[in-house]
Amino acid sequence: MIGINLLGLLVLVLFVVLLIVFIAIGDRWPVSFRKIRGYEALLKALERAVESGERVHLSLGTGSLIGTDSAAAFAGLVVLTEIAKVTSLSDRPVVVSTGDGAMAIVAQDTLRSAYREAGALDRYEPISARMLGPTPFSYAANIPILLESERVSANVLLGAFGAEGALAADFGERKQTFVMAGTEDIQSQALLYAVAEYPLIGEEVFAGGAYLDVSPAHRASLRVQDTVRFIIVGGILIGLLLNLLGISL
Amino acid sequence: MKLGSYLIWAAVAAVSGLFVLLGYFIPVNLIPVAFQLRLLIMQWAVLLAAVGLFVGLANIFLVHWTKVGEQSEGWPYSAILLIFFLITLMVGLVFGPDSETVRLLFNYVQLPVEATLSGILAISLALAGFRILSYRRDFISVVFVGTAFFVLIGSGPGLIPNDGPGYEFFAGLRNWIAQVAAAGGARGILIGVALGSVVTGLRVLLAIDRPYGDG
Repeated sequence: MIGINLLGLLVLVLFVVLLIVFIAIGDRWPVSFRKIRGYEALLKALERAVESGERVHLSLGTGSLIGTDSAAAFAGLVVLTEIAKVTSLSDRPVVVSTGDGAMAIVAQDTLRSAYREAGALDRYEPISARMLGPTPFSYAANIPILLESERVSANVLLGAFGAEGALAADFGERKQTFVMAGTEDIQSQALLYAVAEYPLIGEEVFAGGAYLDVSPAHRASLRVQDTVRFIIVGGILIGLLLNLLGISL
Repeated sequence: MKLGSYLIWAAVAAVSGLFVLLGYFIPVNLIPVAFQLRLLIMQWAVLLAAVGLFVGLANIFLVHWTKVGEQSEGWPYSAILLIFFLITLMVGLVFGPDSETVRLLFNYVQLPVEATLSGILAISLALAGFRILSYRRDFISVVFVGTAFFVLIGSGPGLIPNDGPGYEFFAGLRNWIAQVAAAGGARGILIGVALGSVVTGLRVLLAIDRPYGDG
């Protein structure tokens, strides 16, 4: 039909169908993950923070909730649910920061849900999720004060970052805290790779839910990504072969 | 999980999200009602994001007000922030956001501070480049540092004279790294990011992830 982006619609349907199928299959088809240093070390850092009465800081970046770069922050919110549950009974529960007001509200809701699920709703404080500054560098400028005053020992940066993400990670490294950082922007990923001890590259940013065992749907999500990736790689190889044979489509 | 009001929020989020998303694939402008509805939802989103900024500023005020009230660690910084927060707000309300006074505050306070942070970033990155091999001794880190080194030699002014013997080699190597190796690698990473973004968005649209809460 004229005007309908049929290919786009088909790809969307493919994603939805695969997601539903893999959720239905669930653990009947066991999953094996490759090692991602950051997530492995994160679990240990969370345990250390809880035992030593220090705080975990999760940054959701400086991107807007309705911006095109919000997906990484949504991945950060998934990780937040797990961090909030693990740290809910510690003396110093997780603190969340963002550069966007709407994202701060969403982070507060996520925190409240996680505390309710952990049976620790009385420990929820709305100011645990906060906006640090409305511009990227005003956000970064507030990070050292937050790390110092909240006695942070684990710093997780998962969200939309520009160059200020590298500054935020560097402030964490200077305080000798655990720093795991990931974003969707490829140039910022390069900066974070240089600065953070545990950088997340590419799709690793979105794998937190599966690696931290948030729900079977997150493990299914990884399978969907891998399946579509194989289809894309297959398409590229077929295209390459046809090109070598001099056949143009 | 108990059934509750979250079902309503989930239904509203899923229906409005899928409606806006489908508009990218189906020409909704041919159906005036659907077009108007999609436009309305997107306008609400922009409006709510603006309200979000206001709530965020109130959140900043509340966080620092609480810290000053409880005299918790670092409260003097919070007190300074509150004082200048209120001064800037009053100046903006009295003289208007486009006034010369507000512009002076922006040009002589905020701009220099942000420029300073950019300068610190350049130094931090240079130091991180030197430091990286001390805490992450793996093959990829060596490749990262080596690549950065060759790209700097190939593009940095004055590092190698333009008429020097190695210039052609390093400039060619830099171009190959930037146009072949880096571009190819970046595309691979971008495919991974795109797949992750799509699946993360779909989880929210299908109410598997509910960042708007369960209550």
